This record gives sequence, C-alpha cells and structure tokens, in this order.
Amino acid sequence: MQTVFISQLKPFLDALASQIELYIPKKIEAHFVFSKYNPENSSEVELNNIRACTPVKEFLFPLRELAAIFPEPLDLKDIKPFAIFGLKDCDLRSIEILDKVFKEDEFEDPFYIKRREKMFIISSDCFDPAQSCICNFLSGKPFSEGGYDLNVSKVSGGFVVESGSEKGKQFINDNSEMFAKVSEDVLAQRQANREQAQKQLDKQNTEYKLDAPVHEIVQQSYESDVYDQEAATCVECQACTRVCPTCHCFYLYDTKQKEYFGKMKMWDSCMRLSYAMVAGGENPRKVLGDRLRHRFMHKFSYFLERYGIDMCVGCGRCVDAEAGQVDLRKVLKKLNDELNVKVK
Amino acid sequence: MNKNLYQPVNAEIIDIIEESPTIKSFVVKPQESFKFDTGQFVELTLPGTGEAPFTPSSSPSQTEEMEITIMKAGKVTAMLHDCEKGQKVGIRGPYGNGYPINDFLGKEVYIVGGGVGLAPIRSLFLTLVDRIKDFKSVVCRFGAKTPADFIYKNTLFGKWQKIKGVDLKLTVDQADGEWKDNVGVVTTILSPEDVNIKNAVGVVCGPPIMMKFATQKLLEFGYKPEQIYLSMEKNMSCGFGKCGHCMMGKYYVCKDGPVFSYDMIKDHKNIWA
Repeated sequence: MQTVFISQLKPFLDALASQIELYIPKKIEAHFVFSKYNPENSSEVELNNIRACTPVKEFLFPLRELAAIFPEPLDLKDIKPFAIFGLKDCDLRSIEILDKVFKEDEFEDPFYIKRREKMFIISSDCFDPAQSCICNFLSGKPFSEGGYDLNVSKVSGGFVVESGSEKGKQFINDNSEMFAKVSEDVLAQRQANREQAQKQLDKQNTEYKLDAPVHEIVQQSYESDVYDQEAATCVECQACTRVCPTCHCFYLYDTKQKEYFGKMKMWDSCMRLSYAMVAGGENPRKVLGDRLRHRFMHKFSYFLERYGIDMCVGCGRCVDAEAGQVDLRKVLKKLNDELNVKVK
Repeated sequence: MNKNLYQPVNAEIIDIIEESPTIKSFVVKPQESFKFDTGQFVELTLPGTGEAPFTPSSSPSQTEEMEITIMKAGKVTAMLHDCEKGQKVGIRGPYGNGYPINDFLGKEVYIVGGGVGLAPIRSLFLTLVDRIKDFKSVVCRFGAKTPADFIYKNTLFGKWQKIKGVDLKLTVDQADGEWKDNVGVVTTILSPEDVNIKNAVGVVCGPPIMMKFATQKLLEFGYKPEQIYLSMEKNMSCGFGKCGHCMMGKYYVCKDGPVFSYDMIKDHKNIWA
C-alpha cells in the first residue's frame, strides 16, 4: 500500500486517461452519472460526494448484450481495459456480490469475467452522504478499506491517493512526479472526515435503526402482511431493481438478425408480473406483495444462505428511484417493529 | 478463453411423433454426443424464436439422440409444433439434479404421473426397467384427461404392461366407448396397499394441481415428506442459478432441482402455482 498527496485532480485523471479508457462521475442536477472522461473538456472536475445514481453493474453486466449466436458460435471478443473514477464503498461491495454470482465455480459467465478482469477501480470517500444512504446499517462504510486499485479522499487543499493493488501501486510509481508526500496531519484529517461522514449517517438513519440483524428480521417476517401493505403504492416501474447495484436477474430472448440468429441477455426484474410465469399460465407470485416479499427474502435471506453475504449494500438508490412509496428502510423498520410487538 | 455457457450445441430434429392432440415428441440429434441423468433438463432453442426448458423423455443410455416430449402451451412450444423434420435447433445443458436412482435401489418405486408429466417419468421408467432387478418393484399409476390424451400409447397400452416387476394401472378423467380401465382422477387409483410404504419411494410428476393432490394422498398414506420426489416446473431460463426466474423460495429450481424431495420445499409459499 502506498499513500501520497495531490493538490488537483485534473493531472491525475489526465495521466489515467492517457493509459486507459476512463469514466468519471458527471453531475446532472442533484445526481451523478458516469461518462467518458475527455481531458480537453474537463477543466472543472468534481469529486462526487456520493455514489452515482446509476449502478456500477452496467459496466460489468450491461443492460443488454449478445450472449450467443447461431449457427456459428459467438466469438468472445477481448474487452479494452477501462477505469472508473469515483466509485464508493457500496459500489465495491456490490461488485463483491456480483462476483459471487457470475464468477461461481463451474458456472462462470464469460462476458462478466472478461470485463471484470479489465476493470481498474478508483474509489473515493463519501464526504457528504445522501439522505437515502443507509450503508451503515448493512455492514458498510462511507469509505473503502479494500477492493480498489486506487482510493481518493478529499482533504483541505487536495486529495489523498492510496493504492490497494499492485496495479494501483504501479500507477503511483510511474507517475511519482505528480504526487507529494502525505503528512500525518493530512492523514489525521482524512480520518476525521471519515468519522464525520459515519456520524452523519448514524444520525440521519436513527429512525430506521433495527433491533436485530437484518437477516433475522426478514427471515422471521416471512408471513408478514407488511409486504402487502407496503406494495400498495408500487406502480411496478421496476426502477428499484434496475438501479440496484446487486440485483442481477436477467432475461434471455432470441432474435433474428440479417446474418445470424442471436440469443440476447437483458436485465430483468422480479417485480414484473409475468417474471416467474410459465407457459401454461401458472404464476407463483401473481400478487405484488408476494413479489416484494421475494425481493426482500432474496436480498436478506436466500442470498446470504447461499453465498454468506447480504445482497444489499444500503446504497439507497432504490429509495431515490422509487416512483411509488415503497422505501426499503421503512419496510425493514416496519418488519422490525412488528416483531417487537409480537415479542412483547 | 472461458467457455460460453449461453451457447447451445447445434442439433437437428430428425423425427416427430404425434402423441396426443396437443403433445408431440421430437427426436433431436445433437452435433456431439450429449449425456444427461434421468430427471435433468435441457434448454431447447428454436433459433430466432426462443428457448424453453424440457426434461428429455428418452433413456440417458441413449446419448446420440434424445427424445423431448412437448405440449403446446406457449409461444416457443407452439412454433415447435409447427416445425418439420430437419429443423435446426440448439440444446444447452443438461442442468440441475435428476432422480437420485441410487437412493431407490432395493426399494419399491411408486410413480404417480399425469398428462405431459409422463415425459420425465418415461425417462425414469426406462432407466429403472434397464436394471429392474435392482429395485423391489416399479409401481406406476398414470392418468390422463381422456384415452386420446395419453402419451406413449403404444408402449403404455402394450409392452410396458408386460414387464416383469412392473405393476401399471391407468385412469382417465373421461372415458370413451372403448375404455375398460378406471375412470376418475389419478388419486382415485392410489391405494396404501399398492406398495410397502416402509420400503418405498414416491415419485410424482404432472400438472401442478395433480402433483398437489397426489402428494397429499401419499402423505395421508404415511409416506414421509423425504420419501416423495417431485419434478418441479418453474420458469427455468438460464439453467445455472443466475437469472432468477425459477426461484422457489431459496432454491433455484434449475440448479437445486428440478427434482426435489418434498421435505425440501414443503414450507415455501406457492410451490404448486
């Protein structure tokens, strides 16, 4: 691990962009989305205080991709290396979750793996978490301690850059002229900023505090009516699962092209009515509340049992994107309170 | 380079057998030999149209070609029914866990089937009959809506009735003039005296409603949930536990099933839907 200081981001990003296709967060009104970095046109680079509103999964598992063709098999093309600047700890944890699924023993997804191998990760600390952020309740933090190639923390007068991999260390060494030594004071300031962000999260989420580990609450609430009640305002827009960085359901469908037949892979959503329906018409989750229950059970129980980790990082994107009033934090809190009443 | 698990093996439909007004069997010859265990399923692609999951109805000992029995139910199956010999298709798989034949050794195998549910059962039946001496007996209770709706009529009404060690009874919901056997749903021909339950396993496959009532009947007879094996039908798409469509509680039916013992799934909501 190597830790250095830099006063401005532009030379840092320019050096990265000279080596690799680089994506940075671009502010659109209150939100950030990733766009390709253009050194000519980026005099004012802004470090994002929070995660982008779109999930990092789109870089590894795109919305739609060609998965197979007929009659000749698909040639698996090499992916160009790419870097993403400004990922947050919740994003890194979502990659860890997707890795479990798509890099699983004998069922490796070749498309995911190719992109994953070529991804260079530059994370950064959250210095002003969003109102919907709830990572602190889901074993997360507003800063990363691993899983990145480089991490950037904002401090007064500049940024602390730290390597977390050999590739990251190599970058710092290759560009040593642009970095300065980091002082103890600056590191202390980084630590203070991190604690401040954690305090802010604890404070803003007080009303959602749970009295037991989230998986226990969800597992014990399988029969709860809360799902039906909370699903009442759901308009089935499926935005919650689209923006979710850990939701990974997909739909395979076949197409006719001029030269070949193609099998496509596209994001899907378990909140969709016909998602689990079979050709004969049977549908195990016809009722919206059952679909919401399944989403929560998958995230907080089934996935944990299979892979040893919760399938939610508390990024709050689903809360921001929701077109109805289904709020993950409130659903969990209601389940929690309902259990407390039963215990009493 | 990683293997592309979404890429089917090219195959051709070399024969089509009309089984009933709504069901056909397709003899499919893959470009390379294709192994599977009885009860496992494959994804059959009609290029440019779509893909659907089916459990082969042929014996796993036959690896050069396989039979897939298909009821016309949705878009892909309707298009398959319109296909002719020579149609190019694709096959992915095999996927999931089939019937645990080794756990059946020395036991009475009590098979309850209905409608197109006889397709996976035929594969199991042929596997059992191949080594019939390894099992105490094979007792089959099959049902269909009408005599015309039975699939595999030639063998079902003929050869299979005469195999030593096999006890086969049939029923229909509605008889025609020539039908001499039982009339009524399949549960009306089930009896606790059919086998010695203590040394038996139950296998149930058919339409969801039939599976529900047949399973209940076996439980009433005294079968333990872990003695009953069910081949579950859900919306299996990818086949390897990623796309999520077939999830039944914590299980991916495609990867953890499609054959489950009833004790594994009995506490989940809506398993019969």
